[in-house]
Amino acid sequence: MELTIAELKGIRFFEDYTDEQLKKFISISSLQEFKVKDILFEQYDELTDVFILLSGCLSLGISLPKEKRIHLGTLEEGQLFSWSAVFKPYISTAWVMATCPTKVLAIDSKKLNLEFEKDCGFGMKTMTKIAQTLSRRLSDTRFQLMNQLTL
Amino acid sequence: MLNDNNIYKPIEAKLTEVIDESSLIKTFVLVPSEGFSFKTGQFIELSVDGIGEAPFTPSSSPLITRQLEVTVMKTGYVTEYMHNLKPGGYMGIRGPFGRGYPVEKFFGKEVLILGGGCGLAPIRSLLYALEAVKDKLKKVILCYGSKTPGDCIYKPLFNRLNKIDKFEAHRTVDKPDEDWNESVGVVTSLLNKITLNIENSVAIVCGPPIMMKFGTIRLLEMGYPEHNIYLSMEKNMSCGLGKCGHCMMGEFFVCKDGPVFTYDEIKHNPEIWK
Amino acid sequence: MKYYSIRKEEWDKKLEKLILSHTVFASVNNEFGQDYELLRSPDIPNILYNKPKPTTSLKSFFLPVKENVTSERDSQKPRIIMGIPNCDIEGLNLLDEIYLDKDFTDIFYGDRRNGTLLISSDCFSIQEHCHCMSYDIKPFATRTADLAIALIDSSIIFRTVTDKGEEFITNISGVDPVNDSNFIDSILSKQKETEELLIKSNKDLPEYNTTGRLINSAKEEIWNKYSSDCVSCGACTTICPTCTCFLLIDKPGFEKVKQLDACQYPGFERVAGGEDALKELSHRFRNRYMCKYSWKPKFFKSIACTGCGRCIEACIGRINKNELFKELA
Repeated sequence: MELTIAELKGIRFFEDYTDEQLKKFISISSLQEFKVKDILFEQYDELTDVFILLSGCLSLGISLPKEKRIHLGTLEEGQLFSWSAVFKPYISTAWVMATCPTKVLAIDSKKLNLEFEKDCGFGMKTMTKIAQTLSRRLSDTRFQLMNQLTL
Repeated sequence: MLNDNNIYKPIEAKLTEVIDESSLIKTFVLVPSEGFSFKTGQFIELSVDGIGEAPFTPSSSPLITRQLEVTVMKTGYVTEYMHNLKPGGYMGIRGPFGRGYPVEKFFGKEVLILGGGCGLAPIRSLLYALEAVKDKLKKVILCYGSKTPGDCIYKPLFNRLNKIDKFEAHRTVDKPDEDWNESVGVVTSLLNKITLNIENSVAIVCGPPIMMKFGTIRLLEMGYPEHNIYLSMEKNMSCGLGKCGHCMMGEFFVCKDGPVFTYDEIKHNPEIWK
Repeated sequence: MKYYSIRKEEWDKKLEKLILSHTVFASVNNEFGQDYELLRSPDIPNILYNKPKPTTSLKSFFLPVKENVTSERDSQKPRIIMGIPNCDIEGLNLLDEIYLDKDFTDIFYGDRRNGTLLISSDCFSIQEHCHCMSYDIKPFATRTADLAIALIDSSIIFRTVTDKGEEFITNISGVDPVNDSNFIDSILSKQKETEELLIKSNKDLPEYNTTGRLINSAKEEIWNKYSSDCVSCGACTTICPTCTCFLLIDKPGFEKVKQLDACQYPGFERVAGGEDALKELSHRFRNRYMCKYSWKPKFFKSIACTGCGRCIEACIGRINKNELFKELA
């Protein structure tokens, strides 16, 4: 199973990359499928891939002692997750679970980092997108926190 | 010469139906005894005989003038009395007051509506008004967030919206229950899943102050110009006439200069998110 | 603008008749000081002319503390108010802009305005806290008042300002156009004297145009300092000629009572959900200054502070707004 450049262009995350850059992604990625209740990774797992949700439904949350799962949010199609795979110590800050049949694009993070070193422009563009994802997620988390504090 | 129209005197309206929307929210169906109409986004002062008055934005279509619907959340003294009312009695209406949504300015554009909590009541009225002119609009997207699935009122509305041409509706809750199969998280996270042409779009935000603050920040980050973000401000509206001073937000009387403002009009005011 | 004169004894006799056909209020000395009183025959010789200023502001005649605003409009005896200082007259302009707004006209206010003849009194002296001239307000009326009155030697001199004033005067027998220019010169020179007294006593005060900028730039320390003696009693707002915030209280039968309120009181901006943008006393204190000097000037043509100084006199915490302004300047 492989994605084509045309299919990648239709995904929001890849909108403004060049064909060359998209070829790079294809060469270091694979498609993965999950079924309902599959756990893609747990909080505190060591991560090796950065993911893009292609289709389906994923829930994201954190775990409390005694294995209590707190559901924080849903991931939307086209969104990037498992960003911790790009930064040391590569440890996940959340768990992600499929709640319906789901397809994701798994990008090998070690190979991605190597590509960054070869092509700084590509690295800058990608890190900017990751930073934007993080910024929005942080803002949403603060919003959630404010909601909880004023309850 | 002064006219005889007393601005302080309410017109009477018969309460013909009370609809339970949730444990804390009811919709009152009122038939005014005199001719009455409003523009979407304007508000009325609704009174309970001898008890008190409170400001509400009608949640019904502005095109229907024989009756209007007002959705009321039980939050205080007057609303508690309202919740105990039964059909058949009379309530008082003063208004309509204020500046509503300038629907004509949305023609030819994509309309994004960001709503939270009880903000859905004025949004429903706006949606009816937009539906009536949908041929003149490019797209209407509603993103709505509530605390729990139980708080998400007007369930039939959402079912209908996704079937109307050019309309789409997305919902999210902070805390799901077992039956919830839509998004979870804050309403701003819904903005990750919609596609918009920001340059030809207007955004309307209506909900609790925290939601309006975070929503506006996200919209600005997405590239919305300040004059295209419409906010519905809530203050202690009392007279509705721009006289009693209770609703002042800086130099503005929210009851007269608002309650609908564009972000550029009020962004300098430190009180807006209080 | 025309000048008319009548001998004082004759005018006093006219007043005896006027109090039968009109409800007349005049500025007199009472046990507390100088104030408006309902004029009765024995008080006529004691009316104060050209002395600033009655304790109560003119606002109280047009905006009662409490009134039922859903009752029938009643036609009352026409009213005359005498002895109004110009600071109160100019304050009425703001009240007119708010209550006679063409979209939402308050008919009760309108009825009272239409049914009242305003006789302003030129100030020929000043009180300690008078500072009208700092805000370009003269100590004598040039508009809005129907008539201006002055007592020169033993003659009463009227200056007609509006058509209504002109009509009133010409209907009083025994009042003649002034033919002796000495009277007019006397009035003009006394007006000038008063202006000079005011300019001298208020030379450190900023002009109205600058007050907005000063208030906007004031830091929190200033507000904390000046509000530390404030107890939110609301005396300043009650006595102020231009403060008019009110509450609408529901009574059975869908009746409504309009009652004066004050932004100084706690809970003024509290909403049903519990949030209160003016929870802190120092914020409420600041709010009044922002409202008068920064916000109202943005939307209203009329001035929102006429420099009457009553707020300084009334404050039980002895807070002086002019000291605040001098510190900011």
